[in-house]
Amino acid sequence: MSGINGIKYILGESARMLKYRKISNLISVIIMGFSLLVLVIFILITLNVSMVIEKGMEEMCVYVYLEDGTSNKINEDIRTKLLGLENIKKVLFVSKEEALKKFGERLGKSSEILEELSVNPLPNAFRIHMKPECTTSVFMEKIAQTAMGWDGVEDVRYGKKWVEKGEKLVKGFYMIGLALGLIVLLSVIFVISNTVRLSILSRRESVEIMKLVGATNGYIQAPFLIEGAIQGVVSSLVAMALLWAACSFVGRYMPGLVFFRFEGVVGFVVLCAFLGSMGSFIAVRKFLKR
Amino acid sequence: MLVYEIMQGEKRIIAGVYHLSKKLGRHFALQDISIQLANGEFAFLVGPSGAGKSTLLRMMYMDDIPDSGQVIMGSYVSTRIKRSTIPQLRRKIGIVFQNFRLLEDRTVFENVALAMKVAGTGLTEIKSEMADILTRVGLYHKRYEFPGSLSGGEQQRVAIARAVANKPAILLADEPTGNLDPIVTREILELLFRINSSGTAVLMATHDVELVRSFGQRIIYLQDGKIIKDKEMLFRGNLRDSISDSQVDHRARKFTDHRIGEDGNGTRRG
Ligand SMILES: Nc1ncnc2c1ncn2[C@@H]1O[C@H](COP(=O)(O)OP(=O)(O)O)[C@@H](O)[C@H]1O
Ligand SMILES: [Mg+2]
Repeated sequence: MSGINGIKYILGESARMLKYRKISNLISVIIMGFSLLVLVIFILITLNVSMVIEKGMEEMCVYVYLEDGTSNKINEDIRTKLLGLENIKKVLFVSKEEALKKFGERLGKSSEILEELSVNPLPNAFRIHMKPECTTSVFMEKIAQTAMGWDGVEDVRYGKKWVEKGEKLVKGFYMIGLALGLIVLLSVIFVISNTVRLSILSRRESVEIMKLVGATNGYIQAPFLIEGAIQGVVSSLVAMALLWAACSFVGRYMPGLVFFRFEGVVGFVVLCAFLGSMGSFIAVRKFLKR
Repeated sequence: MLVYEIMQGEKRIIAGVYHLSKKLGRHFALQDISIQLANGEFAFLVGPSGAGKSTLLRMMYMDDIPDSGQVIMGSYVSTRIKRSTIPQLRRKIGIVFQNFRLLEDRTVFENVALAMKVAGTGLTEIKSEMADILTRVGLYHKRYEFPGSLSGGEQQRVAIARAVANKPAILLADEPTGNLDPIVTREILELLFRINSSGTAVLMATHDVELVRSFGQRIIYLQDGKIIKDKEMLFRGNLRDSISDSQVDHRARKFTDHRIGEDGNGTRRG
């Protein structure tokens, strides 16, 4: 069988599977939907926590403190040289006045003591923001070493201890996240493949009969693949919808909470469609082998 | 041995089993079995339960492979056929079972149509042929009913209709009357004779010697995996006497005429 009749046959068989196996499909979609919900909850929590961590890391900057009374030309030279370095996102000039003001703001009420200062003890500085993936002690140290020897540079600091702590935190978080994610993913795959297997087991006799009347493996499998893909799409949409509802509820109390971007949702649904049909494919193939 | 060589007299051999042995578990389910079936022939395969009838039929529709020996069905040879070619063979033969094996979630029409769809027949053609097919088994008026609402005899008629829908050269029936009462059994037998007289060879397995003795058809007796008596004894010759004189049927020629591997599918086991 080939061509138009073949396609008609496959579509017809798929349609009838969806039509006559409503209960079985519903059960599959519910089980898969909830398994996937666990997975997306996990992914979303990971995403949010990692965004918080990244934001914190981004605030870690390298400060290049200038000698007192450097000329504008020297300042500009330093800025140019800094911008020429790798791994840097942006370079900001922080004048000593600005620094004092910030310092005062940080002190709050007790800032009055600053008014008693006759001279501003703080130096002019450049604040260097690293590219997000380069906010590590290795890269920051490199910049510190380089800039240290330049004319007009008094000192370079970057809160070494904090950066190293942050790095450890990020590493630990991703390790735990990866391990947990793997466990969740494996359980989801286990649950889904069992669901698929059970649903196909109920069709065992049909599959055998199909073989006896001369259906090729491809034609027996194709409707199952389509069914699996549709189950994947529906159950991933169910999971996403539930998660979105939960998110908009929790979001009232946690304003910073982010949801997946549209592309992320689409990608997840496509992936689930693929996984659904793969699951069906593997389960049916086991059966077709004698 | 090539198929086009296996012609005896004017009769075409459409199915042959040659020195076939098969062990299931510890003992031989079949031992050195040789049978030939000619175009348009009708034969009973008779033997007590456990004799190996089902096993032999399974070898013939290539659901299992012999340990030694060979099965040749039309142009398909058990020692050379690829797994992917087996569906082609199944579309060209009909198979009927004791337990009917109908799809419970499909109507009579859909059950029969499935076999035709699988063979690549379009819906228009299926619809135009269905009246004829279902009328032959007397079930046209029940075409929209589901197997569950039919009697055993009716279900077997549907199964037979499905088996012959693609006009096979041969029909293999494994205890087709095993679940039916004597009156219905007779009706099913008559149906099989009618199908046979329209040109399809029939090999029907049964444990009921008394049932088949009266018909004067060829009877192959099987016991403990061996043929203990074959009315025709094909390997000693005189095939010509045993078969009614119908002309060589077109569908048998189509079934046997491909030389092995000629269809480009390379019926060679990989
Ligand atoms: N799957 C199997 N494993 C082991 N032995 C089997 C199997 N199937 C059948 N047999 C044995 O093979 C012999 C022939 O069985 P079968 O072909 O079903 O006989 P029949 O159809 O004539 O009743 C019997 O002795 C049976 O017990
Ligand atoms: Mg049997």
